[in-house]
This record gives sequence, C-alpha cells and structure tokens, in this order.
Amino acid sequence: MGGALSDGLSATFMGYLRADGSVGVRNHVLIVSILGLVNRVAARIADSVAGTLLVETPYGRGQYGADKTLHRAMLGGLCLNPNVAAVLIVGADRRAVDDIAALAASGGKPVRIVALDDTHEDSLAASAAGIRVAGELVHAASRLQRTRQPASRLFLGVECGHSDATSGLVANPVAGSCVDRLVDAGGTAVVGETVEWLGAEHILARRAATPMVAEAIVAAVLRREAEVAASGQSLTGNNPGSENIRGGLSSIEEKSLGAIAKTGTRPISGLLQVAERPSVPGLHLMDGPSFSPESLTGFAASGAQLMLFTTGAGNSFCSAIAPTVKITGRPQTAKLLPDQIDFDASAAFLGREDIGPLGARLFETVLAVASGAATWGEIHREGGEAFVRVGASM
Amino acid sequence: MSEDATWSAVAINPGDSVAVVLRDVAAGECVAVRIDGQIREVTAIDAIALGHKIATVAIAKGASVLKYGAAIALATSDIAEGQHVHVHNVASNRAKKAVP
Repeated sequence: MGGALSDGLSATFMGYLRADGSVGVRNHVLIVSILGLVNRVAARIADSVAGTLLVETPYGRGQYGADKTLHRAMLGGLCLNPNVAAVLIVGADRRAVDDIAALAASGGKPVRIVALDDTHEDSLAASAAGIRVAGELVHAASRLQRTRQPASRLFLGVECGHSDATSGLVANPVAGSCVDRLVDAGGTAVVGETVEWLGAEHILARRAATPMVAEAIVAAVLRREAEVAASGQSLTGNNPGSENIRGGLSSIEEKSLGAIAKTGTRPISGLLQVAERPSVPGLHLMDGPSFSPESLTGFAASGAQLMLFTTGAGNSFCSAIAPTVKITGRPQTAKLLPDQIDFDASAAFLGREDIGPLGARLFETVLAVASGAATWGEIHREGGEAFVRVGASM
Repeated sequence: MSEDATWSAVAINPGDSVAVVLRDVAAGECVAVRIDGQIREVTAIDAIALGHKIATVAIAKGASVLKYGAAIALATSDIAEGQHVHVHNVASNRAKKAVP
C-alpha cells in the first residue's frame, strides 16, 4: 500500500487547465444542439469545422418536472465538462438558448450561440453563421497548451458492458485496483448502474463515508427494485439468469459483487444523481441507468474526463466527450478485437499475473490517455452522448 | 515462486472460502489455486467447469460462502474442500428478501 500510495501521489499528466480550475484531458469545441428541431443545423456546423465535437439531443420540448430539470442539467453539465474548451449552443428560441448558454458560461469558457430566432427560422443561414463562429472558437482553443497536472485532478467514470464470467474475475477488479490508486492520489471516480448493486448494497453501504451516504445507497437500490416490481418484473426472480448460472454465478450477491469490484476498496464519499457534480474528491456512486450510453453521458455531465469501460465479449460504445479505455480479461476478446481493446488484462485469466500489478499498469495507461494518447474508440469515432429521460413527454 | 509459475484457479480475496477455476478441471485433479500471491494445491472432488467455483476450505451447512471477501450465499449442505460450489449446494440470501 505504501508503494502504491507514493506512486499515486507523485503521478502527473499533461492537461488543459480551465478558468474554473478544472483540468481537461481533451480540448473539444462542443457544438451542442439543445433541441431536436435543430440537429441538422448543428451537424452541418460540426461536419464543416475541424476540431469540433457534436452533441445533440432528440428532445428539448414538451418535457416537464424532474425530466425537464434533468435534461437541462445534462446539457449544462456536458458543456461544463473539463474536456470542453469552448461551446457553441445551437437552438431555436432565444430564451432556451440563452438559458443553456448562461449555464455553460458559468465555467468561464468561451460560449457562443446560434438561434433560429435570429435568422428568421432560416436553418441554412443559421448553419452558415454557426460555421463561422465555430471556426473562431477552434482557432482560439487550438492555441491552448497542456501543462503538467497532478493525478488528483482526474475524475474517472467506470462502466461495464457485455460482461461475462471474466468481468467479475479480472477486468472489474483490475479497474477497481486502478480506482484505488487514483483515490489514494486524491482523485475522483464514479460508478453507476444502480441495479447492479442489488445484493451488494449492504457491502457498499458499509464502505460509505457517512451514515447518510449509506442510507442513500440502500434506498436507491430499493427504490429501483420497487419501481421494476411495480411494472410486473422482478430484478431478483430471474437473476442471475440461466446464462449467468451456466457461466458459474450462483447468486445475485455474487453477480453484483463482481460488478461492484469496479469500485475498488476505498470509502464511498457520496451518492450522486445523474449529472450531479461531486462536491468532494474520492470514490462516488451514481444512482443512474444501467444502459452504457446513458450511464456514460451521466458521468460526463457530472464532470468525468475519462472513462474506464470493462467488457467480457467486447463492446465498442464510448463516451464522445471523455476518452474511454476499453478493458477486457477475456483472452479471445483481446485477440479478436485488437483495435477496440485498449487494455488487455487477460494475463490474470490465464493464471499468469495478479490483479494488483495489472491495476498499476492500467493506472499508467490512464495517465497516458489523459495526456493525449488516443484510445481506439477516439481513433474510430465510436460512441456519442445519450440523454437520460425520467418522465414521458407532454 | 519461480517467474513462470502459473495457476488454474484464483481466490479473489485472501479470506474467501471459494476460488474460481480458470479452465475445466476433472474430478481428482490437483488444482493450483492462487491465494494472496501464493499458490496452494487443492484436489478437486468434482469436475468443475471454467468460471465455476471450487471450495478451498470446508463449508458447513448454513455457513456463508465467501467470495470477494463477502457472503455470496449460504451453504445448503456441508461442502468439503475441493467440491464444486454452485446452485446445487448454495442459495442466495438476498433473493429471499426481495421486494415482492
């Protein structure tokens, strides 16, 4: 532990220091369509200007209550992500555009707008105006320089997708070991997918930093279980499923412990809602959806700059805003998907290497990617951002 | 331990009562189990498929089965060291308490 601790404390990466004190590992100029009506306008702008990244929502009207609040928080959160150097907000009515622009500008980064209100509903004129403005934002952003930053400025989102028997045994514990190192270095990490805590909620609760956090963790699991039960389904009735059982999983506890191995072993500082920013460093949970695109976007909207994504059989999806490091413990997957898997942990499954040394190597990979080394997902432009809904439209 | 040592089963936490086998194991086979950086030999009583669990200690009926340093289930019968540990001899403690 002493060695790992000193390694972590001295660990650094090269990042972009932002006006709000956060540090980006990428330098995106975000083109954000805040309304499904104007996605083509935003897409034309992003297609035409190198160095931009498109984020679009299919929604933005007819939402109300908690669902509307969350949609706004996600849009604002993605704009405020440290990997974003500047933002162009694309919308229709000025009121909504100005609202999100003000949220985005609260981080101190350059924010510009394009609204159909200002072009007499002419989408081509809006596209042309946006192309010019986006070009100016990229010109300025490209002049920003990376500087050396401590690992404590990193915020990792940790996700799993298309898991198999190797996930709980190898890839998730390796990710957890890396998370331990980051937390020891003063950094931050978040693990979501509430339904995957089922059966292990008492163990997570025991690791909570305060009794309040412990209660919130247990309540979050029970709420989801009750919601699913109300729809006539059971989270425990057929879980683990027959495929899980054939693979060797004997109980929901065992399955969930394998999933939460991603959290490592350190205390849990807090339970976040989707798109909520952590108020202290350390390990956090997010009470969020289990589908990877939604879960990753929830992390990015809460400020995560980099994702760890464990997989058994393979899964190509990545966050658009945060580079996503794909990790597998399955030897065949590492062999079959050499340009999807960024970190091959299968030596542990082959009985040749322990989890700890692999976790240390993964931490080195994280620092390299944070400093600019491209992930396979970035190279192949995998993934995107997906907005979470918590209510029906009007 | 030599540099090129390998193992056929892994106990995730040093205090676990089971290990996961990393290849199909035949009944009567001697299995090298990795526990806390050391290798211990356990003789398999049953045939155990890749990804399934072998008991690394005797587990009494009603006792917790430990993996990840936590209880994953209760033994529904006495389990001897080397036996296959799965749904035929353990049961979830959580599933019973599920919201109906």
